Amino acid sequence: MSVRRLLYLLREAVANVLTNRTTTVVAVATTAFTFACVGVFLLLYVNLRAMASSLEQDIQVMVYLQDDLTEQTRGEIELQLKADRAVGALTFVSKERALADFQSQFPAESHLLQGLGRNPLPASFVVTLAVESRSSEAMRRWANRAQAIPGVAQVQYNQEWVEALAGIVRYIEVAAIIVGIILSAASVTIIANTIRLALYSRREEIEILGLIGASSTFIRVPYLLEGAALGLLGSALSLVILKAGFELFRHEIRSASRFLGVDTLLTFFPVEMCVVLVCVGLFLGCAGSFLSLLRFGEGRA
Amino acid sequence: MIQLFHVSKYYDRRLALSDVTLDIEKGEFVLLMGPSGAGKSTLLKLLIGAERPEEGQILVQGRSLSKLRPSEIPLLRRKVGVVLQDFRLLPKKTVFDNVSLPLLVQGASTVEIRRKVTEALRSVGLDHKKDLFPPGLSTGEQQRVCIARATVNGPIMLLADEPTGNLDPELTSEIIELFKSINARGTTIIVATHDPNVLAQVNRRVITLDQGKVVSREQVCP
Repeated sequence: MSVRRLLYLLREAVANVLTNRTTTVVAVATTAFTFACVGVFLLLYVNLRAMASSLEQDIQVMVYLQDDLTEQTRGEIELQLKADRAVGALTFVSKERALADFQSQFPAESHLLQGLGRNPLPASFVVTLAVESRSSEAMRRWANRAQAIPGVAQVQYNQEWVEALAGIVRYIEVAAIIVGIILSAASVTIIANTIRLALYSRREEIEILGLIGASSTFIRVPYLLEGAALGLLGSALSLVILKAGFELFRHEIRSASRFLGVDTLLTFFPVEMCVVLVCVGLFLGCAGSFLSLLRFGEGRA
Repeated sequence: MIQLFHVSKYYDRRLALSDVTLDIEKGEFVLLMGPSGAGKSTLLKLLIGAERPEEGQILVQGRSLSKLRPSEIPLLRRKVGVVLQDFRLLPKKTVFDNVSLPLLVQGASTVEIRRKVTEALRSVGLDHKKDLFPPGLSTGEQQRVCIARATVNGPIMLLADEPTGNLDPELTSEIIELFKSINARGTTIIVATHDPNVLAQVNRRVITLDQGKVVSREQVCP
């Protein structure tokens, strides 16, 4: 393609945008707000997921041992646990250590144990699972496996928390996908209508180009570029809106003392994801244009 | 060069052309005469692949138009210049840019475009108005720009549909003279008109259509 031809196509795309200035501004703004709505869900999803994975990292599994175990059996259990690939780290807490920990953590309640005459707290292994085994499902599977080891009295971890959070993340994920699909379709429709108006206002020029032997690609490229530009601008603007909203929210959270420290956990989209979102906008813009061009070609625009 | 064999065309069951058989030689100047609705414009549309016949076959340079793939139609149109009654110029582009369009879509270089557009505008006597916009030109000048655009890439044939419909007799003569000079350079010209002034000035072959049928073929010696 000659430079002059390329320049012509770019000039035409710019001319399209300038000819329908108001429609373009409205389309970019509407697309931006539509993308921003999807972005809110995505942001929520990204942050909850980060929070879930940080919680999963902190969660430790308590493997309580039966009281009457010999030193040899305890050693065998330790070896078995250490050999397990799902186990990342392991600490043994003896009955005495458990009692001492209880007394130091709950000094006011320590007299309750003194009344019993003997140490009722079991010995245990505090297990930190390997990174790949920290999902709620993997944790549950591992706990069931550990529970079956002879000499193990009980396996406990904060199952409810992990599963509740995983459940919320799953719901947000599904909601983000549904909202994303619906609002993306809305964005495509908005851009398609804008391009349709551009095609309608320049239909005579399109006829002339067809008459002098312009290929359909030559005729379509400016409109595809226009759609791509609308999608790109819309998604970029939506990121600006989201970033502003995000910073405002973080500021509010920071001001409210009861959420102290929570603001540092909140994260905005990483740069790579911002680039992906802008590219998605560009793709949806092209899709909108393509749809209008298809309808225009069929004489239904 | 152009051959039509038993060509018929319908629009919603209304007959636009009926069993038309024609043979136009390379370098001919042919007038298509007939009243409005006779089928003149339909015939021209068939020749540029804008419409397809329901029956019959059209050959241009031995190639059947009905066998052309949609992607080949632009290639056919690059060999055919079209002049219309309403000029169809782009009002927001300069005369130069309007005339350069056929070359641009073919991917001609900047140097080639400048040379050919200047030549085409000179041949219609408008090279001094290349930077003006169509609305700033008279109707005669606009039609000449249209002719420059239609001939800038050296087409094998020039099709004109009522080219003098918006012009007074004096401007009609100018345009006919232009067509004659283009034809003298070897381009086949087909002019569809119902203007008797054109007929009076062009003593060439006249094909008369009426209600979609060829009703007479007069061969006038120039």
